[in-house]
Amino acid sequence: MFRPLFIPALLAISATSFAQVSPTETTTDQVDHSKMDHSKMDHGSAYMPDDHANHDHTDVTPTMDTRDENALISVDQPEIMRAIAAGGEPIVATVLGAVCDFCAKAMNKTFGKRKDVAAVYVDLDKKTLNLVLKPGAEMSDDDLRKYVKKSGYKVDAIARGPAVFAR
Amino acid sequence: MLRTALIAVILLAFNAEASARPVSYAGGWTLIEDTDRQSTTALIHYSPSASYSFGLRTEWDRGADLIFVGPQATWLAKRWFGPDHQANLYFWGAAGLVTDIGLNPRGDRSGVQAGMMTDWETRRLFLSYRASARDFGKFDQSAMQAARVGFAPYEGDTGELHTWLMLEVDHRPDGDTPIGVTPILRLFYGSALFEAGWNVTDDAPLLNFQYRF
Repeated sequence: MFRPLFIPALLAISATSFAQVSPTETTTDQVDHSKMDHSKMDHGSAYMPDDHANHDHTDVTPTMDTRDENALISVDQPEIMRAIAAGGEPIVATVLGAVCDFCAKAMNKTFGKRKDVAAVYVDLDKKTLNLVLKPGAEMSDDDLRKYVKKSGYKVDAIARGPAVFAR
Repeated sequence: MLRTALIAVILLAFNAEASARPVSYAGGWTLIEDTDRQSTTALIHYSPSASYSFGLRTEWDRGADLIFVGPQATWLAKRWFGPDHQANLYFWGAAGLVTDIGLNPRGDRSGVQAGMMTDWETRRLFLSYRASARDFGKFDQSAMQAARVGFAPYEGDTGELHTWLMLEVDHRPDGDTPIGVTPILRLFYGSALFEAGWNVTDDAPLLNFQYRF
């Protein structure tokens, strides 16, 4: 649901950065970015919070240098970041009672076997369940709470889309 | 003799009781082994939901020379959640066949066991209490209780080695040494939990193992 909103936002960011180049600097070898048709271009994931989304991440392991480690989502997990770059919707659920590796194992098992989940990681330090859905897949808050309960735990709060990159 | 030794080896290899987290996530299996100063117990169970588990319990009481084999049900009656803690209340019961494997075997008979366990833990502190009783008819009728306190010297993140230093005090009114004190080292790694300790009052080892799959 965020894609329609963020593609224009990304376009606006891109246009702003290109606009910093004076029109007088344009040569015959350059293309006027504002006149390009972006509708058929792959600008990466709409869930990335900034211009970084314009890169192709499919074969890249993101590093801490490019991400805010204080973000809600566990940016140090390559599988999570790769799945987001591939276009999946990120979800971070703050989970009550997640105090040990058995808790993490329970949620990893429950969500890891679901066909609509591309990546899952339980962060005990942040007490969060990190999920990335497969592109086009959806999971309601109610369903998410139900699956966490099935694992034996309880959801406190849920963040989705670009909000997972907030601190 | 050979039969007894074989049973003992199987029990030692597969052992378990209902100690830490005796109910898994829905669809999960757990293998539990507990060896303390009195007995060695093995339990393999399946959890159809996060509130129940059903499995097979085998227990070798080394002091009384008894072996118990039977199905066990465990119920997570209540789990309390908080941002930094979790607490649980469990009840369990088992019924099965008790076999006397002493030098003068008295045969087989039916027996029942039941118990409860409650715990509270954060990533640095652990408290638990458990109690159980058994009725093996003419073979044995007894009860026990144990309390444990634990401390983690550091907070391990997901997938890292988690280390706990614990102290358990158990009370077995019918035993030669009613009160037992056991310092324990608990190691958590991924799906496996291992505990090693030494009962300083009864001079006996404690070896517990759990694996989730």
